[in-house]
Amino acid sequence: MNPTSDATASADNGGNFDPQQAAALLDQTTQQARRRFEPAQPWLLVIRAVGVLAVFGAVWLNVRGQHPYRHPTATLIPVVITFGVLNLVATVAVARRATAGVSGRTRLRRGEIAAIAVIWIAVFVVMSVLPGTGVSDSVAYGLYPVTVPLIAVGLAWAGITAARADWRRCGTGLAVAVTGAVALSAGPAGAWAVAGVGLCVTLLGHAAVIVWQQRRSVVRP
Amino acid sequence: MTTDELDPLIHVPTRLKIVATLAALPDGDTLSFTRLQDMIGLTPGNLIIHLRKLEEADYISSKKASNGTVSITTVALTGHGREALGAYTQALRDLLGGL
Repeated sequence: MNPTSDATASADNGGNFDPQQAAALLDQTTQQARRRFEPAQPWLLVIRAVGVLAVFGAVWLNVRGQHPYRHPTATLIPVVITFGVLNLVATVAVARRATAGVSGRTRLRRGEIAAIAVIWIAVFVVMSVLPGTGVSDSVAYGLYPVTVPLIAVGLAWAGITAARADWRRCGTGLAVAVTGAVALSAGPAGAWAVAGVGLCVTLLGHAAVIVWQQRRSVVRP
Repeated sequence: MTTDELDPLIHVPTRLKIVATLAALPDGDTLSFTRLQDMIGLTPGNLIIHLRKLEEADYISSKKASNGTVSITTVALTGHGREALGAYTQALRDLLGGL
């Protein structure tokens, strides 16, 4: 018999509620609440990790034989964009569900969302003017779009979450930025492989930390 | 140590669930009454009775806001409530360690 449901049914005034039942109920309720309030669900992070590895890996396989580097073939570009859009939609939907009815620090402020959006847009505006300034296509359409968004958005996210003392998300932002920085040294084709593997490891690591934090006992540390 | 040393206000299954659920949110965050009700699985009347007891002890705070047509009640664990849950958890640890 489940000790916690038994406890709930039999002892609403606390009279027959023994410490073991209380400890089990406290742990069960806390773990359940942590899971339900979490905006980044581990299952979504794992799906995203596999997706990133598959999409970035496909692009890497497509461009690794190009000398000099040109760009991924036209059929792959919509796949990358569709993956990005689906990812964003799923992330927002899951986060909204988790934070329904919650107000305060858990939710991102409008200013924080705007800052991330402006950085994303600025990164790609700069990319569009790069070829006109004499930067080669392999940098403008190869190295830059894979690495610079990761560095810029990763650092911005780390800054925002550090200001909230949210060290888990801050670590994820820094890991994304480091992935972008390491990918810079891999060349335009290799950057796709390095970024794909780096992001996959970061997402899996983030999912593992969330699961560990959610399952941690309150009563038995 | 005996069970008498456990805070009687928290040592009730329903109120323990309420306090533990609110404690899972970061300090200062609030939760709507309807979401809390959905998570705890109580009728509104029952939930109000337990929330009132916790509020009288300053373990939680509640606020009612209206945007013209709909009024929303939100609740949050106070610093005092968080401390009380911490002390209750420590008392449980001591009790279970001694069993």
